[in-house]
Amino acid sequence: MYAIEATGLYKRYGEVIAVNGIDLAVKQGEIFGMLGPNGAGKTTTTEMLVGLRQPDAGVVKILSMDPKKEGAAIKARIGVQLQTSALFNHLTVRETLVLMASFFPRCRPVDELLNLVDLQEKANVQTRHLSGGQQQRLQVALAMVNDGDLLFLDEPTTGLDPQARRRLWDIIEKMREEGKTVFLTTHYMEEAEKLCDRVAVIDHGQIIALGSPDELIAAHFGETAIELPAFSGLDDHMLAQLAGVSHIQRQNSQVTLYSTAVPATVGALLELAQKLGVSLENLMIRRATLEDVFLKLTGRRIRE
Amino acid sequence: MKAYLLLVLANIREFSRDLMTLFWFLAFPLIFILLFGAIFSGNGDLEFQVGLAVEDQGPAAAGIAEAMKAVPIFQITQGDREAMLAALKEGKLRAVIVLPEDLSAAMMVGQRVDLPVYYDAAQQTSREIVLSVMKDMTAELDRRLTGRPQLIGIQAEPIQAGRKMRDIDYLLPGILSMSLMQLGLFGTFNFVSMRQRKVFKRFGATPLPKWTLLAAEITVRLMIAVIQTLVIVFVGRLVFDVQMVGNWAVLIALVMLGATVFVSMGYMIAGFAKTEDGVQGIIQTVQFPMMFLSGIFFPVEFMPAFLRPVMTAMPLSYLGDLLRQEMVGASAMHSLAVNLGVLGGFTLVSLALAVRFFRWE
Ligand SMILES: Nc1ncnc2c1ncn2[C@@H]1O[C@H](COP(=O)(O)OP(=O)(O)OP(=O)(O)O)[C@@H](O)[C@H]1O
Ligand SMILES: [Mg+2]
Repeated sequence: MYAIEATGLYKRYGEVIAVNGIDLAVKQGEIFGMLGPNGAGKTTTTEMLVGLRQPDAGVVKILSMDPKKEGAAIKARIGVQLQTSALFNHLTVRETLVLMASFFPRCRPVDELLNLVDLQEKANVQTRHLSGGQQQRLQVALAMVNDGDLLFLDEPTTGLDPQARRRLWDIIEKMREEGKTVFLTTHYMEEAEKLCDRVAVIDHGQIIALGSPDELIAAHFGETAIELPAFSGLDDHMLAQLAGVSHIQRQNSQVTLYSTAVPATVGALLELAQKLGVSLENLMIRRATLEDVFLKLTGRRIRE
Repeated sequence: MKAYLLLVLANIREFSRDLMTLFWFLAFPLIFILLFGAIFSGNGDLEFQVGLAVEDQGPAAAGIAEAMKAVPIFQITQGDREAMLAALKEGKLRAVIVLPEDLSAAMMVGQRVDLPVYYDAAQQTSREIVLSVMKDMTAELDRRLTGRPQLIGIQAEPIQAGRKMRDIDYLLPGILSMSLMQLGLFGTFNFVSMRQRKVFKRFGATPLPKWTLLAAEITVRLMIAVIQTLVIVFVGRLVFDVQMVGNWAVLIALVMLGATVFVSMGYMIAGFAKTEDGVQGIIQTVQFPMMFLSGIFFPVEFMPAFLRPVMTAMPLSYLGDLLRQEMVGASAMHSLAVNLGVLGGFTLVSLALAVRFFRWE
């Protein structure tokens, strides 16, 4: 059973092709992430899936229903948090939730929602007096108001502090336990890695890699990443010659070595550094991440 | 239904918690009434500055002078002929009447005397009024002096509860029509700016039907319209003594109808235009001609003939006509069926287009 099925999604704005042939099949109960840089087409894809924009080409099925014929039935069962949408400025948090709840045949109790996003204390505050992060949390609560089976969250954690981000991750984990399907977009690879069952890496409106975070990393890297401090002054050619190094990636002044034999590589690196009198302070050894996958596939970082 | 009620409530809260908007919606019609009222109520009662030069010392001249001073619309200034004529040329007087030297003597011997009446030929209205008052007066004097009985007279029967229609009486329903138009058209601004801020966008991903949102918006506008009406009628009564002669229930019904017409038009325009600026442009081009060419501020007789067909194309003139009849008992320009038909037709067409071109973002 698929919660979302899309084939050949295509959308263009004048010269810009925002979404260029995307196929998706998101299983029921899955947390599916779309990871990509600014302008990759995440929002455009999301809004086409929820029926807010018409694709120029392609077919969408949501919860096995056709949006063109059963739009209202679909809308009753999905929850949507948009990247750009504002609130009624002068309504309080509680009033906003109650209003939104009235649009749906079935809904969660407002107090439960307030608890979930930790806004109980702000229940009677007008939304214009909320901080950006609090507004963002309210937006997420609004997406959950109807207790829908399928949630679309467009960059739910952007603008949240680390603590609030963890909380939101917990909420999404809870959705998983409740058997809901979550489709989310993000720039944060650690978010995608931690939360998502599967991730689609998207760039220039196309999916360039798809799979679970571990699969993706394993498919592209048998190696460990060694990040050199910026401006170490070491020559790319010399670095590539070091023992165990499969390839190097240079992004501006930042160099990352990918090594299949970490001890050998580090030993050789230290030796080289000593010989040339270069400081290796801030040297970092870490396992490869989705960021590295993205870097390898596109030659760019997700966030620059 | 619940969604509708909560949206109405949300709108009212949004509106009433925003003090600036609240202030302007109530203050604007008030400022308008006070301003227009002050401008127009001054010459509500006609008065003519008339110069009188008495050159005859006899009893007849004194009698005529007394009679003239008793004419209510004449403000008499007395002086010698030269001075009076100079004042007329300077525009300080509308007319100068001379009672010539030999007046009493000539009348005594039954000889006809013509009283010279000087007037500014450029001033049509004052000429006609002054001359006809003078003719009436001389005819009456003539009759008395010659002792002929008057066989036919007139008995004046003023309608509208003994009040004459002053400019402010005509104006007040016009101001009400205008505020209804502005409420409808400019009320859309708020909607468009909220749409631009993408407040409604997420509603598009919920099962909420668009017409429910529109219906709630329109309901709130109608409530505001009723409040504005009460303010306008009350201030008109208090400050300018404009009596509401009609039936309150009918007036409120008409106000609702009028507000619906323009609110629907407003949402239709919001459907056509993308941005706030776009809406502003369309609204200005619609509302200015309507304000001045629909006869809500001055009667149709004042309009050049070639503009009268334009007037019949404007919903505001039909609303103005209805409100004038109901509020101050003015006579009808169009039949009730025509008025209601035109306004109803405008509403239906605009509403249909408003829903058709409605956009969540
Ligand atoms: N309504 C629009 N009109 C014109 N161009 C658009 C429109 N919406 C999106 N685009 C273009 O399509 C591309 C994809 O935009 P989209 O908003 O989907 O990116 P995104 O992945 O959500 O980016 P971000 O991470 O910044 O939110 C961008 O180049 C954008 O400029
Ligand atoms: Mg986006």
